[in-house]
Amino acid sequence: MPKHISRLIMLLVILGVVAYAAKQYFTVNSFYEFGHYRGNSVADMASNKPKFKGSASCKDCHKDVYKQWSEGIHYNPAAGKVVKCEVCHGPGGDRGTKGMFDHVSTGPDHPQNMKMIVPTDTVKLCVVCHEQIAGRPAQQKQIVIADHAGTQQCTVCHNPHSPLTINEAKPTPPIGNVTAGKADVDAAGCAACHGPTGISDGLPGPNLAGQNQPYIMAAFRAYKSGARSNDFMKDIVANVKDSDITDISAYFATQSCKSAHNGDADAEAAGQKLALASKCATCHGTNGISRQPVWPNLAGQSKDYLVSALQAYKNGGRKNGFMTKITKDLSDADFANLGAYFSNAKCQRDGAE
Amino acid sequence: MTKKESPGTCHETHDEADRGGCEIARRGFLDQLKCAVAGLAVTAAAYVLPLEGQTALGTEAASIPAIPGYDWSKHRWAYGVDATKCIGCLRCVKACKTENNVALDAHHFRTWVERYVYLDGHEKPLIDSQADPVNIAAAGTEEDYRFANRYNNDDVYKAFFVPKLCNHCTHPACVQVCPTGATFKTMDGVVLIDHNYCIGCQYCVQACPYGARFFDHVRRVTNKCTWCYHRITKGLMPACVEVCPVEARIFGDLDDKESKISQFIKNNRVQVLKPETGNGPNVFYIGLDSEVV
Repeated sequence: MPKHISRLIMLLVILGVVAYAAKQYFTVNSFYEFGHYRGNSVADMASNKPKFKGSASCKDCHKDVYKQWSEGIHYNPAAGKVVKCEVCHGPGGDRGTKGMFDHVSTGPDHPQNMKMIVPTDTVKLCVVCHEQIAGRPAQQKQIVIADHAGTQQCTVCHNPHSPLTINEAKPTPPIGNVTAGKADVDAAGCAACHGPTGISDGLPGPNLAGQNQPYIMAAFRAYKSGARSNDFMKDIVANVKDSDITDISAYFATQSCKSAHNGDADAEAAGQKLALASKCATCHGTNGISRQPVWPNLAGQSKDYLVSALQAYKNGGRKNGFMTKITKDLSDADFANLGAYFSNAKCQRDGAE
Repeated sequence: MTKKESPGTCHETHDEADRGGCEIARRGFLDQLKCAVAGLAVTAAAYVLPLEGQTALGTEAASIPAIPGYDWSKHRWAYGVDATKCIGCLRCVKACKTENNVALDAHHFRTWVERYVYLDGHEKPLIDSQADPVNIAAAGTEEDYRFANRYNNDDVYKAFFVPKLCNHCTHPACVQVCPTGATFKTMDGVVLIDHNYCIGCQYCVQACPYGARFFDHVRRVTNKCTWCYHRITKGLMPACVEVCPVEARIFGDLDDKESKISQFIKNNRVQVLKPETGNGPNVFYIGLDSEVV
């Protein structure tokens, strides 16, 4: 063999040997263990810690809520519909003991810095599943937000853990200064329409005595912001300071009331049936005493006032998604019956001091 | 020109003056080289041969990856999607990102949901996903996901959601093109990426006919769905299946005839996406139109 050929071969052999040795040196041992990849990487990836734990891991500590949830509509395994804890609250993390979340005082911060998400804006949360949008199958319960509750938080009415359960809240003791409130009432001239103690008794305004304070305050603010329009009230509230709203509402809320009782018996009976059928009772209570202080009591309100309010909702003078939807299908006769029923009902602070 | 007498005379000598003592040096060098090659060969053989023996032995000793309580030869994972049930809540997308540390933005997804909307009088559907700007605006942030109420519902003739993810194909094109052996198919049927070996060339991103892979611009590696390999090897469901509130996503073991996925495939007329590509996808769908690819 010519020398230059043998040298060339020798060179190639050297290169080959060096390359092979280098490859063996640099390739990790587990490569080719199972195939053309690093065998250890499989176990590496499998060793990551799961974050989502499943609802069972919540059961031991959050007993009450877990019970509500497991008895409610959000837990319906038969229908294949289970909204697990972690869907709304985020992953439970990899710790199986108390103190899983850092807002719980029983333990240190979660190792992965995860906190239990306590959703604050349910208007954004609930609608990811329940807003009526193109593509959502018909069997999914859906709402048109504007017709349902608008910007009101879902949790005002619904228990999020068992949404078919409507929340109920007892009236809370009034906040604010009742005496100062009386002075403000006298100064503002409320008595001209609502009566000196909030019993209008034939005057043009609605009864305010014994009404829920949070509702009176909400109405005040609505007049101030223009969300609710009334020429009389617009001028009056313009002169009332924000701090006085609390006192005035506290004054009226603590007065003893007197039912208007100006509906006839036939209309009252018809109104009672309708009140249940039209879902009035869901929020305003079967007897016109509302189930949440932010909603008005209807019991004992003047029939004429109730009818005019219902008409205002129907024709758009007053705006509320629910009320617009509910009044849409009711006639003037229905309004009269409902007015009679609620005006005859016993008001909340009837005979109170 | 004079000829220098020396034992190392070079036959091909050209310019003695220039070359000087090179003859000796070269011959000596060649002799040394012979020894060196022989020596290297022996060393290399000594180094390499036992290694190969070791590898062979190792294969016999540990034929399964060291995952506690898990034997990958006893499972054959598969995934099902019931598009008729999906409500487009996108909790799966959010859960996947949290579970797998995927960037919370509108550009990187291991799983995603598409919406197909047929308006009255239109043959072709309008398609959007959670990454659509209108839907991002509805969510208010790129860190959460929501489908916007963007169509007048009276104009919609037909609409449905389609969750998508890596199909964990039987003959994955992405594995075929990977130049480093960074992505591979496990014995239990999952296509994984070894981020220690991925060089970020993104050939696999190009090769995947489903668009299931994305490039992680922070870590400079390719990323994709693993069917939550760290969960399924511990007996848990993938995070997206875990949080789905309507059982639109089904996961299980084909080797277990009673598993949800086996029953799902048995009891429904299922289809896969793009079967013509020959990848052999393992995500089985029901409730799709032919427009969905």
